[in-house]
Amino acid sequence: MTKLRHSVWMLLAATTLALSTSQGFAQPRPDADEPGLVADDSYALDPEWQKQVVYYRTNEAPGTIIVVTAERHLYLVQGNGRAIRYGIGVGREGFTWQGLVNITRKAEWPDWTPPPEMIARQPYLPRFMAGGPGNPLGARAMYLGTTVYRIHGTNRPDTIGTAVSSGCFRLVNNDVADLYSRVPVGTRVVIRQKPEL
Amino acid sequence: MRTFRGGLLIGLAVAVLVGAAAITYERYDTKTLKRTIRRGEVLCGVNKGLPGFSIPDDKGNWSGFDVDFCRAVAAAIFDDPTKAKFIPLDASERFKELQARKVDILSRNSTWSMSRETNYDLYFPAVAYYDGEGFMLPKSRNIDSALDLNGSKVCVQADTTTALNLADYFRANNMKYTEMKFPKLDEVVKAYDTGQCDTITADASQLYALRLNMSKPGDHTILPDIISKEPLAPVVRLRDDDWMMIVKWTLYAMINAEELGITSKNIDEALKSKKPEVMRLVGTEGAYGEDLGLTKDWAARIIRRVGNYGEVYDRNVGAESKLKIPRGLNQLWSAGGIQYAPPIR
Repeated sequence: MTKLRHSVWMLLAATTLALSTSQGFAQPRPDADEPGLVADDSYALDPEWQKQVVYYRTNEAPGTIIVVTAERHLYLVQGNGRAIRYGIGVGREGFTWQGLVNITRKAEWPDWTPPPEMIARQPYLPRFMAGGPGNPLGARAMYLGTTVYRIHGTNRPDTIGTAVSSGCFRLVNNDVADLYSRVPVGTRVVIRQKPEL
Repeated sequence: MRTFRGGLLIGLAVAVLVGAAAITYERYDTKTLKRTIRRGEVLCGVNKGLPGFSIPDDKGNWSGFDVDFCRAVAAAIFDDPTKAKFIPLDASERFKELQARKVDILSRNSTWSMSRETNYDLYFPAVAYYDGEGFMLPKSRNIDSALDLNGSKVCVQADTTTALNLADYFRANNMKYTEMKFPKLDEVVKAYDTGQCDTITADASQLYALRLNMSKPGDHTILPDIISKEPLAPVVRLRDDDWMMIVKWTLYAMINAEELGITSKNIDEALKSKKPEVMRLVGTEGAYGEDLGLTKDWAARIIRRVGNYGEVYDRNVGAESKLKIPRGLNQLWSAGGIQYAPPIR
Protein backbone atom coordinates (compact mmCIF):
# COMPACT_ATOMS: atom_id res chain seq x y z
CA MET A 1 0.00 0.00 0.00
CA THR A 2 2.70 2.48 0.96
CA LYS A 3 4.57 1.34 -2.09
CA LEU A 4 1.58 2.18 -4.28
CA ARG A 5 1.15 5.54 -2.57
CA HIS A 6 4.82 6.19 -3.09
CA SER A 7 4.64 5.49 -6.79
CA VAL A 8 1.53 7.66 -7.16
CA TRP A 9 3.40 10.52 -5.53
CA MET A 10 6.40 9.95 -7.75
CA LEU A 11 4.17 10.00 -10.80
CA LEU A 12 2.51 13.22 -9.63
CA ALA A 13 5.87 14.82 -8.94
CA ALA A 14 7.22 13.76 -12.31
CA THR A 15 4.15 15.16 -14.08
CA THR A 16 4.41 18.47 -12.24
CA LEU A 17 8.06 18.67 -13.18
CA ALA A 18 7.29 17.92 -16.80
CA LEU A 19 4.48 20.48 -16.93
CA SER A 20 6.55 23.18 -15.25
CA THR A 21 8.92 23.51 -18.18
CA SER A 22 7.48 25.90 -20.69
CA GLN A 23 10.24 25.55 -23.28
CA GLY A 24 11.77 22.81 -25.35
CA PHE A 25 14.88 22.63 -23.21
CA ALA A 26 15.80 19.69 -21.08
CA GLN A 27 14.06 19.25 -17.75
CA PRO A 28 15.36 21.22 -14.77
CA ARG A 29 17.21 19.13 -12.23
CA PRO A 30 17.01 20.39 -8.69
CA ASP A 31 19.82 17.94 -7.99
CA ALA A 32 22.21 19.70 -10.37
CA ASP A 33 24.87 20.26 -7.71
CA GLU A 34 26.75 17.07 -7.16
CA PRO A 35 29.89 17.85 -5.23
CA GLY A 36 32.39 15.04 -5.50
CA LEU A 37 31.30 13.76 -8.88
CA VAL A 38 34.26 13.79 -11.26
CA ALA A 39 33.42 15.39 -14.61
CA ASP A 40 33.18 13.06 -17.58
CA ASP A 41 35.37 14.95 -20.06
CA SER A 42 34.43 12.62 -22.89
CA TYR A 43 30.76 13.66 -22.62
CA ALA A 44 29.62 14.71 -26.12
CA LEU A 45 27.57 17.92 -26.16
CA ASP A 46 24.71 18.39 -28.62
CA PRO A 47 25.91 20.40 -31.65
CA GLU A 48 23.74 23.26 -30.37
CA TRP A 49 25.90 23.54 -27.22
CA GLN A 50 29.31 22.96 -28.79
CA LYS A 51 31.76 25.84 -29.01
CA GLN A 52 31.61 27.42 -32.47
CA VAL A 53 32.25 30.59 -34.42
CA VAL A 54 28.95 32.15 -35.47
CA TYR A 55 27.72 35.20 -37.31
CA TYR A 56 26.86 37.75 -34.63
CA ARG A 57 26.11 41.39 -35.22
CA THR A 58 26.31 43.61 -32.16
CA ASN A 59 27.18 47.11 -31.05
CA GLU A 60 29.21 45.70 -28.17
CA ALA A 61 32.98 45.98 -28.62
CA PRO A 62 35.13 42.95 -29.48
CA GLY A 63 36.18 41.17 -26.30
CA THR A 64 32.79 41.67 -24.64
CA ILE A 65 30.95 38.66 -23.26
CA ILE A 66 27.20 38.52 -23.94
CA VAL A 67 25.18 35.93 -22.02
CA VAL A 68 21.78 35.21 -23.58
CA THR A 69 20.07 33.16 -20.92
CA ALA A 70 16.92 32.34 -22.91
CA GLU A 71 19.10 30.75 -25.62
CA ARG A 72 21.54 29.06 -23.19
CA HIS A 73 24.39 30.63 -25.14
CA LEU A 74 27.39 32.74 -24.16
CA TYR A 75 28.94 34.87 -26.91
CA LEU A 76 32.46 36.25 -26.91
CA VAL A 77 32.34 39.12 -29.41
CA GLN A 78 35.12 38.95 -32.02
CA GLY A 79 34.29 41.94 -34.18
CA ASN A 80 33.90 41.67 -37.93
CA GLY A 81 30.34 40.39 -37.43
CA ARG A 82 31.28 37.24 -35.59
CA ALA A 83 31.50 35.75 -32.14
CA ILE A 84 32.61 32.56 -30.47
CA ARG A 85 29.51 30.89 -29.05
CA TYR A 86 29.51 28.45 -26.13
CA GLY A 87 26.63 26.41 -24.73
CA ILE A 88 25.86 27.17 -21.08
CA GLY A 89 23.68 26.12 -18.18
CA VAL A 90 21.79 29.03 -16.56
CA GLY A 91 19.85 29.96 -13.44
CA ARG A 92 16.67 28.05 -12.76
CA GLU A 93 13.31 29.79 -12.33
CA GLY A 94 13.62 32.40 -9.60
CA PHE A 95 17.38 32.58 -10.05
CA THR A 96 17.50 34.70 -13.16
CA TRP A 97 19.06 38.12 -13.32
CA GLN A 98 20.31 40.54 -15.94
CA GLY A 99 22.62 43.48 -16.16
CA LEU A 100 26.04 44.75 -16.95
CA VAL A 101 29.04 43.62 -14.90
CA ASN A 102 32.78 43.18 -15.26
CA ILE A 103 35.00 40.23 -14.55
CA THR A 104 36.65 41.15 -11.26
CA ARG A 105 38.74 38.05 -10.63
CA LYS A 106 39.83 34.86 -12.36
CA ALA A 107 40.78 31.56 -10.75
CA GLU A 108 41.96 28.14 -11.94
CA TRP A 109 40.40 25.09 -10.27
CA PRO A 110 38.65 27.41 -7.80
CA ASP A 111 37.68 26.48 -4.26
CA TRP A 112 33.96 26.55 -3.59
CA THR A 113 32.37 28.24 -0.60
CA PRO A 114 28.62 28.08 -1.23
CA PRO A 115 27.10 31.42 -0.07
CA PRO A 116 24.90 31.26 3.09
CA GLU A 117 21.65 31.74 1.14
CA MET A 118 22.52 28.71 -0.98
CA ILE A 119 23.33 26.63 2.14
CA ALA A 120 19.97 27.66 3.57
CA ARG A 121 18.21 26.30 0.50
CA GLN A 122 20.36 23.22 0.05
CA PRO A 123 21.61 22.30 3.56
CA TYR A 124 23.27 19.14 2.27
CA LEU A 125 25.92 21.15 0.40
CA PRO A 126 29.44 21.29 1.85
CA ARG A 127 30.47 24.51 3.63
CA PHE A 128 33.76 24.50 1.76
CA MET A 129 35.24 22.42 -1.01
CA ALA A 130 38.78 22.64 -2.34
CA GLY A 131 39.28 23.09 -6.09
CA GLY A 132 39.61 19.95 -8.21
CA PRO A 133 37.86 17.64 -10.66
CA GLY A 134 34.99 16.85 -8.27
CA ASN A 135 34.27 20.50 -7.56
CA PRO A 136 31.00 21.78 -9.10
CA LEU A 137 32.79 25.00 -10.15
CA GLY A 138 34.96 22.93 -12.49
CA ALA A 139 38.25 23.94 -14.05
CA ARG A 140 37.98 27.75 -14.08
CA ALA A 141 35.90 30.54 -12.59
CA MET A 142 35.44 34.16 -13.61
CA TYR A 143 33.89 36.28 -10.87
CA LEU A 144 31.20 38.71 -11.97
CA GLY A 145 31.34 42.19 -10.39
CA THR A 146 30.56 42.13 -6.68
CA THR A 147 27.80 39.54 -7.13
CA VAL A 148 27.83 35.98 -5.83
CA TYR A 149 27.57 34.85 -9.45
CA ARG A 150 30.34 33.46 -11.64
CA ILE A 151 31.02 32.04 -15.05
CA HIS A 152 32.51 28.66 -14.20
CA GLY A 153 33.15 25.08 -15.31
CA THR A 154 31.17 22.11 -14.15
CA ASN A 155 31.38 18.49 -13.11
CA ARG A 156 27.97 17.95 -14.73
CA PRO A 157 28.42 18.44 -18.52
CA ASP A 158 24.92 17.00 -19.00
CA THR A 159 23.40 20.15 -17.47
CA ILE A 160 24.60 22.37 -20.34
CA GLY A 161 21.57 23.73 -22.16
CA THR A 162 19.37 23.60 -19.06
CA ALA A 163 18.18 26.03 -16.40
CA VAL A 164 19.39 24.49 -13.16
CA SER A 165 21.88 26.74 -11.42
CA SER A 166 21.50 29.20 -8.59
CA GLY A 167 22.24 32.05 -10.99
CA CYS A 168 25.75 31.18 -12.20
CA PHE A 169 26.60 30.39 -15.80
CA ARG A 170 28.33 27.07 -16.30
CA LEU A 171 30.33 25.77 -19.27
CA VAL A 172 31.99 22.41 -19.76
CA ASN A 173 35.56 22.40 -18.47
CA ASN A 174 37.24 22.52 -21.89
CA ASP A 175 35.10 25.47 -22.92
CA VAL A 176 35.53 27.40 -19.69
CA ALA A 177 39.32 26.96 -19.96
CA ASP A 178 39.18 28.22 -23.55
CA LEU A 179 37.09 31.26 -22.56
CA TYR A 180 39.34 31.89 -19.54
CA SER A 181 42.41 32.07 -21.78
CA ARG A 182 40.72 34.66 -24.01
CA VAL A 183 39.37 37.19 -21.52
CA PRO A 184 41.24 39.37 -18.99
CA VAL A 185 40.03 40.73 -15.66
CA GLY A 186 37.95 43.84 -16.46
CA THR A 187 36.10 42.20 -19.36
CA ARG A 188 32.62 43.63 -19.82
CA VAL A 189 29.84 41.05 -19.40
CA VAL A 190 26.28 41.75 -20.59
CA ILE A 191 23.60 39.39 -19.26
CA ARG A 192 20.33 39.33 -21.18
CA GLN A 193 17.01 37.76 -20.18
CA LYS A 194 14.03 37.20 -22.41
CA PRO A 195 11.46 40.01 -22.25
CA GLU A 196 8.63 39.85 -19.72
CA LEU A 197 5.03 40.00 -20.85
CA MET B 1 -27.78 63.43 -88.44
CA ARG B 2 -26.44 65.38 -85.54
CA THR B 3 -27.93 63.03 -82.97
CA PHE B 4 -26.61 60.07 -84.89
CA ARG B 5 -23.06 61.44 -84.76
CA GLY B 6 -23.48 62.29 -81.07
CA GLY B 7 -24.64 58.76 -80.34
CA LEU B 8 -21.68 57.38 -82.23
CA LEU B 9 -19.29 59.51 -80.20
CA ILE B 10 -20.88 58.48 -76.90
CA GLY B 11 -20.82 54.85 -77.96
CA LEU B 12 -17.15 55.14 -78.87
CA ALA B 13 -16.31 56.80 -75.57
CA VAL B 14 -18.10 54.07 -73.65
CA ALA B 15 -16.28 51.38 -75.63
CA VAL B 16 -12.91 52.99 -74.89
CA LEU B 17 -13.73 53.34 -71.19
CA VAL B 18 -14.88 49.74 -70.87
CA GLY B 19 -11.77 48.59 -72.73
CA ALA B 20 -9.49 50.64 -70.52
CA ALA B 21 -11.22 49.36 -67.39
CA ALA B 22 -10.85 45.79 -68.62
CA ILE B 23 -7.15 46.29 -69.31
CA THR B 24 -6.67 47.86 -65.90
CA TYR B 25 -8.54 45.00 -64.29
CA GLU B 26 -6.46 42.48 -66.20
CA ARG B 27 -3.24 44.19 -65.27
CA TYR B 28 -3.88 45.28 -61.71
CA ASP B 29 -5.63 42.95 -59.35
CA THR B 30 -6.97 44.80 -56.35
CA LYS B 31 -9.44 42.25 -55.10
CA THR B 32 -7.29 39.44 -53.71
CA LEU B 33 -8.49 39.87 -50.12
CA LYS B 34 -12.16 39.87 -51.15
CA ARG B 35 -11.72 36.84 -53.38
CA THR B 36 -9.75 34.99 -50.72
CA ILE B 37 -12.43 35.60 -48.10
CA ARG B 38 -15.20 34.54 -50.50
CA ARG B 39 -13.26 31.40 -51.46
CA GLY B 40 -12.55 30.60 -47.81
CA GLU B 41 -8.88 29.75 -48.30
CA VAL B 42 -5.53 31.25 -49.20
CA LEU B 43 -3.87 29.80 -52.31
CA CYS B 44 -0.14 29.53 -51.70
CA GLY B 45 2.45 28.88 -54.39
CA VAL B 46 5.23 26.80 -52.82
CA ASN B 47 8.33 24.83 -53.74
CA LYS B 48 7.67 21.23 -54.80
CA GLY B 49 10.12 19.89 -52.25
CA LEU B 50 12.81 21.80 -50.37
CA PRO B 51 13.66 20.39 -46.93
CA GLY B 52 12.96 22.90 -44.17
CA PHE B 53 11.14 25.32 -46.45
CA SER B 54 8.32 23.45 -48.12
CA ILE B 55 7.95 19.74 -48.52
CA PRO B 56 4.96 17.36 -48.50
CA ASP B 57 5.07 14.06 -46.58
CA ASP B 58 3.76 10.80 -48.06
CA LYS B 59 0.23 11.71 -46.94
CA GLY B 60 0.40 15.09 -48.66
CA ASN B 61 0.79 17.13 -45.45
CA TRP B 62 2.99 20.12 -46.11
CA SER B 63 5.58 21.44 -43.71
CA GLY B 64 8.33 24.03 -43.77
CA PHE B 65 9.19 27.65 -43.12
CA ASP B 66 7.51 28.94 -46.31
CA VAL B 67 4.49 26.72 -45.66
CA ASP B 68 4.10 28.02 -42.11
CA PHE B 69 4.25 31.60 -43.31
CA CYS B 70 1.30 30.96 -45.60
CA ARG B 71 -0.53 29.28 -42.72
CA ALA B 72 0.09 32.41 -40.67
CA VAL B 73 -1.66 34.52 -43.33
CA ALA B 74 -4.57 32.06 -43.28
CA ALA B 75 -4.67 32.22 -39.47
CA ALA B 76 -4.77 36.04 -39.53
CA ILE B 77 -7.76 36.01 -41.90
CA PHE B 78 -9.70 32.87 -40.92
CA ASP B 79 -8.31 32.03 -37.46
CA ASP B 80 -7.57 28.67 -39.03
CA PRO B 81 -4.15 27.72 -40.43
CA THR B 82 -5.63 24.79 -42.36
CA LYS B 83 -7.34 27.32 -44.66
CA ALA B 84 -4.14 27.52 -46.67
CA LYS B 85 -3.98 25.47 -49.84
CA PHE B 86 -0.56 24.64 -51.22
CA ILE B 87 0.09 24.65 -54.94
CA PRO B 88 3.57 23.45 -55.94
CA LEU B 89 5.16 25.62 -58.62
CA ASP B 90 8.33 25.31 -60.70
CA ALA B 91 10.96 28.01 -60.42
CA SER B 92 10.52 28.92 -64.08
CA GLU B 93 6.76 29.41 -63.96
CA ARG B 94 6.25 30.77 -60.41
CA PHE B 95 6.02 34.50 -61.24
CA LYS B 96 3.76 33.95 -64.24
CA GLU B 97 1.44 31.78 -62.18
CA LEU B 98 1.19 34.51 -59.56
CA GLN B 99 0.47 37.07 -62.27
CA ALA B 100 -2.19 34.75 -63.73
CA ARG B 101 -3.87 34.66 -60.27
CA LYS B 102 -3.42 30.95 -59.94
CA VAL B 103 -2.14 31.72 -56.43
CA ASP B 104 -2.75 34.56 -53.96
CA ILE B 105 0.77 34.57 -52.63
CA LEU B 106 4.12 33.04 -53.51
CA SER B 107 5.89 31.70 -50.47
CA ARG B 108 8.54 29.87 -52.37
CA ASN B 109 12.13 30.67 -51.38
CA SER B 110 12.22 33.49 -53.94
CA THR B 111 15.03 36.03 -53.86
CA TRP B 112 13.85 39.61 -53.83
CA SER B 113 15.55 41.62 -56.55
CA MET B 114 14.76 44.88 -58.30
CA SER B 115 14.17 43.44 -61.77
CA ARG B 116 11.76 40.85 -60.41
CA GLU B 117 9.58 43.62 -59.02
CA THR B 118 9.79 45.89 -62.07
CA ASN B 119 9.70 43.31 -64.89
CA TYR B 120 6.94 41.11 -63.51
CA ASP B 121 4.82 43.81 -61.83
CA LEU B 122 5.20 42.06 -58.50
CA TYR B 123 5.88 43.17 -54.95
CA PHE B 124 8.00 41.56 -52.22
CA PRO B 125 6.48 42.92 -48.99
CA ALA B 126 9.26 42.03 -46.51
CA VAL B 127 12.24 39.69 -46.09
CA ALA B 128 11.21 36.45 -44.41
CA TYR B 129 14.63 34.78 -44.51
CA TYR B 130 18.07 36.24 -45.16
CA ASP B 131 19.93 33.65 -47.16
CA GLY B 132 23.26 34.07 -48.91
CA GLU B 133 26.17 32.19 -50.38
CA GLY B 134 28.39 30.33 -47.94
CA PHE B 135 31.09 27.69 -47.77
CA MET B 136 31.16 24.15 -46.41
CA LEU B 137 34.43 22.34 -45.76
CA PRO B 138 35.79 19.39 -43.78
CA LYS B 139 36.03 20.11 -40.05
CA SER B 140 39.52 18.64 -40.10
CA ARG B 141 40.80 21.66 -42.01
CA ASN B 142 40.30 23.76 -38.86
CA ILE B 143 39.34 26.92 -40.72
CA ASP B 144 36.75 29.23 -39.23
CA SER B 145 36.77 32.15 -41.66
CA ALA B 146 36.25 32.37 -45.43
CA LEU B 147 39.22 34.74 -45.49
CA ASP B 148 41.45 31.75 -44.76
CA LEU B 149 40.42 29.97 -47.97
CA ASN B 150 43.26 31.41 -50.08
CA GLY B 151 44.59 28.83 -52.56
CA SER B 152 41.57 26.51 -52.20
CA LYS B 153 40.04 24.28 -54.82
CA VAL B 154 36.36 25.31 -54.77
CA CYS B 155 33.49 23.15 -56.06
CA VAL B 156 30.71 25.25 -57.60
CA GLN B 157 27.81 24.86 -59.99
CA ALA B 158 28.68 26.28 -63.43
CA ASP B 159 26.83 29.24 -64.98
CA THR B 160 25.18 30.42 -61.77
CA THR B 161 25.29 33.67 -59.84
CA THR B 162 26.93 31.51 -57.18
CA ALA B 163 30.01 31.12 -59.41
CA LEU B 164 30.05 34.87 -60.15
CA ASN B 165 29.77 35.79 -56.46
CA LEU B 166 32.61 33.40 -55.71
CA ALA B 167 34.86 35.10 -58.26
CA ASP B 168 33.95 38.54 -56.91
CA TYR B 169 34.62 37.54 -53.32
CA PHE B 170 38.06 36.08 -53.96
CA ARG B 171 39.08 39.00 -56.17
CA ALA B 172 37.86 41.56 -53.63
CA ASN B 173 39.93 39.88 -50.91
CA ASN B 174 43.06 39.35 -53.01
CA MET B 175 42.82 35.58 -52.75
CA LYS B 176 43.46 32.88 -55.32
CA TYR B 177 41.36 29.78 -55.94
CA THR B 178 40.89 26.99 -58.44
CA GLU B 179 37.33 26.69 -59.70
CA MET B 180 35.98 23.12 -60.05
CA LYS B 181 32.86 23.62 -62.15
CA PHE B 182 30.06 21.10 -62.70
CA PRO B 183 26.82 21.63 -64.59
CA LYS B 184 24.56 19.98 -61.97
CA LEU B 185 24.34 20.51 -58.23
CA ASP B 186 24.48 16.81 -57.36
CA GLU B 187 27.70 16.51 -59.36
CA VAL B 188 29.14 19.42 -57.40
CA VAL B 189 28.20 17.68 -54.14
CA LYS B 190 29.59 14.35 -55.28
CA ALA B 191 32.89 15.95 -56.28
CA TYR B 192 33.16 17.57 -52.87
CA ASP B 193 32.14 14.45 -50.96
CA THR B 194 34.79 12.39 -52.79
CA GLY B 195 37.50 14.89 -51.88
CA GLN B 196 38.05 16.51 -55.28
CA CYS B 197 37.94 19.98 -53.76
CA ASP B 198 38.78 21.72 -50.48
CA THR B 199 35.44 23.46 -50.11
CA ILE B 200 32.02 23.71 -51.73
CA THR B 201 29.99 26.88 -52.17
CA ALA B 202 26.20 27.32 -52.50
CA ASP B 203 23.46 29.23 -50.69
CA ALA B 204 23.86 28.59 -46.97
CA SER B 205 20.37 27.11 -46.50
CA GLN B 206 21.19 24.69 -49.31
CA LEU B 207 24.54 23.73 -47.76
CA TYR B 208 22.79 22.68 -44.53
CA ALA B 209 20.38 20.50 -46.50
CA LEU B 210 23.22 19.03 -48.60
CA ARG B 211 25.24 18.23 -45.49
CA LEU B 212 22.48 15.90 -44.29
CA ASN B 213 23.11 13.73 -47.35
CA MET B 214 26.90 13.53 -47.00
CA SER B 215 28.39 10.16 -46.17
CA LYS B 216 29.53 11.62 -42.80
CA PRO B 217 27.56 14.81 -42.06
CA GLY B 218 29.37 15.38 -38.76
CA ASP B 219 32.71 15.76 -40.53
CA HIS B 220 31.72 18.94 -42.31
CA THR B 221 31.36 22.49 -41.10
CA ILE B 222 29.62 25.48 -42.68
CA LEU B 223 31.42 28.78 -42.20
CA PRO B 224 29.45 31.68 -40.72
CA ASP B 225 30.55 33.99 -43.58
CA ILE B 226 27.84 34.97 -46.04
CA ILE B 227 29.27 36.47 -49.25
CA SER B 228 26.14 37.41 -51.19
CA LYS B 229 22.65 38.78 -50.58
CA GLU B 230 19.77 36.38 -51.16
CA PRO B 231 16.83 37.92 -49.32
CA LEU B 232 13.99 35.37 -49.55
CA ALA B 233 10.58 36.99 -49.40
CA PRO B 234 6.92 36.25 -50.04
CA VAL B 235 5.59 37.76 -53.26
CA VAL B 236 2.24 39.33 -54.18
CA ARG B 237 0.89 41.17 -57.20
CA LEU B 238 1.76 44.86 -57.49
CA ARG B 239 -0.92 47.47 -56.73
CA ASP B 240 -3.04 45.24 -54.56
CA ASP B 241 -2.30 47.22 -51.44
CA ASP B 242 -4.87 45.73 -49.05
CA TRP B 243 -3.54 42.25 -49.67
CA MET B 244 0.09 43.34 -49.63
CA MET B 245 -0.44 45.00 -46.23
CA ILE B 246 -1.84 41.79 -44.76
CA VAL B 247 1.08 39.70 -46.02
CA LYS B 248 3.63 42.25 -44.84
CA TRP B 249 2.17 42.75 -41.37
CA THR B 250 1.69 39.03 -40.85
CA LEU B 251 5.46 38.66 -41.04
CA TYR B 252 6.07 41.75 -38.92
CA ALA B 253 3.59 40.55 -36.28
CA MET B 254 5.57 37.30 -36.00
CA ILE B 255 8.88 39.14 -35.65
CA ASN B 256 7.47 41.63 -33.13
CA ALA B 257 5.96 38.76 -31.15
CA GLU B 258 9.36 37.14 -30.80
CA GLU B 259 10.93 40.40 -29.74
CA LEU B 260 8.25 40.88 -27.08
CA GLY B 261 8.58 37.29 -25.87
CA ILE B 262 5.08 36.24 -26.98
CA THR B 263 4.86 32.60 -28.10
CA SER B 264 2.14 30.13 -29.05
CA LYS B 265 2.50 28.75 -25.52
CA ASN B 266 2.09 31.98 -23.54
CA ILE B 267 -0.37 33.81 -25.81
CA ASP B 268 -3.18 33.57 -23.21
CA GLU B 269 -0.92 35.19 -20.65
CA ALA B 270 -0.02 37.86 -23.24
CA LEU B 271 -3.72 38.64 -23.76
CA LYS B 272 -3.85 39.67 -20.08
CA SER B 273 -0.65 41.72 -20.24
CA LYS B 274 -0.73 45.40 -19.31
CA LYS B 275 2.42 46.22 -21.26
CA PRO B 276 1.38 48.68 -24.00
CA GLU B 277 3.48 47.12 -26.81
CA VAL B 278 2.10 43.68 -26.01
CA MET B 279 -1.47 45.03 -25.81
CA ARG B 280 -1.22 46.72 -29.22
CA LEU B 281 0.11 43.55 -30.83
CA VAL B 282 -2.40 41.11 -29.36
CA GLY B 283 -5.27 43.56 -29.90
CA THR B 284 -6.29 44.37 -26.34
CA GLU B 285 -5.58 48.02 -27.18
CA GLY B 286 -6.20 49.96 -30.40
CA ALA B 287 -7.81 48.91 -33.66
CA TYR B 288 -4.80 47.84 -35.67
CA GLY B 289 -6.43 44.67 -37.00
CA GLU B 290 -9.57 46.49 -38.15
CA ASP B 291 -7.40 48.96 -40.05
CA LEU B 292 -5.98 46.01 -41.98
CA GLY B 293 -9.47 44.79 -42.85
CA LEU B 294 -9.16 41.98 -40.29
CA THR B 295 -10.22 41.52 -36.68
CA LYS B 296 -8.71 42.99 -33.51
CA ASP B 297 -7.06 39.71 -32.60
CA TRP B 298 -5.43 39.10 -36.01
CA ALA B 299 -1.90 38.88 -34.58
CA ALA B 300 -2.97 36.79 -31.57
CA ARG B 301 -4.47 34.32 -34.05
CA ILE B 302 -1.18 34.07 -35.93
CA ILE B 303 0.83 33.55 -32.75
CA ARG B 304 -1.60 31.02 -31.28
CA ARG B 305 -2.07 28.96 -34.44
CA VAL B 306 1.40 29.13 -35.99
CA GLY B 307 3.79 30.80 -33.56
CA ASN B 308 6.20 33.71 -33.51
CA TYR B 309 9.08 34.08 -35.96
CA GLY B 310 11.58 32.26 -33.77
CA GLU B 311 9.22 29.34 -33.15
CA VAL B 312 8.62 28.91 -36.88
CA TYR B 313 12.34 29.21 -37.59
CA ASP B 314 13.43 26.73 -34.92
CA ARG B 315 10.77 24.17 -35.82
CA ASN B 316 11.49 24.13 -39.55
CA VAL B 317 15.11 25.05 -40.16
CA GLY B 318 16.67 25.82 -36.78
CA ALA B 319 17.69 24.08 -33.60
CA GLU B 320 14.66 21.75 -33.40
CA SER B 321 14.83 20.71 -37.06
CA LYS B 322 17.09 18.28 -38.87
CA LEU B 323 18.79 21.12 -40.72
CA LYS B 324 19.93 22.95 -37.55
CA ILE B 325 20.73 26.19 -39.36
CA PRO B 326 21.97 28.77 -36.83
CA ARG B 327 19.85 31.93 -36.66
CA GLY B 328 22.77 34.00 -38.01
CA LEU B 329 21.46 36.95 -40.02
CA ASN B 330 17.93 35.85 -39.20
CA GLN B 331 18.37 36.48 -35.50
CA LEU B 332 16.46 39.52 -34.22
CA TRP B 333 18.22 42.86 -34.58
CA SER B 334 18.26 43.11 -30.80
CA ALA B 335 20.09 39.79 -30.51
CA GLY B 336 22.81 40.04 -33.12
CA GLY B 337 20.91 39.54 -36.39
CA ILE B 338 19.14 41.82 -38.86
CA GLN B 339 15.50 40.71 -38.57
CA TYR B 340 13.76 43.95 -37.71
CA ALA B 341 10.05 44.78 -37.77
CA PRO B 342 8.57 48.28 -37.61
CA PRO B 343 6.56 48.83 -34.44
CA ILE B 344 2.83 48.31 -34.22
CA ARG B 345 1.55 51.62 -32.99
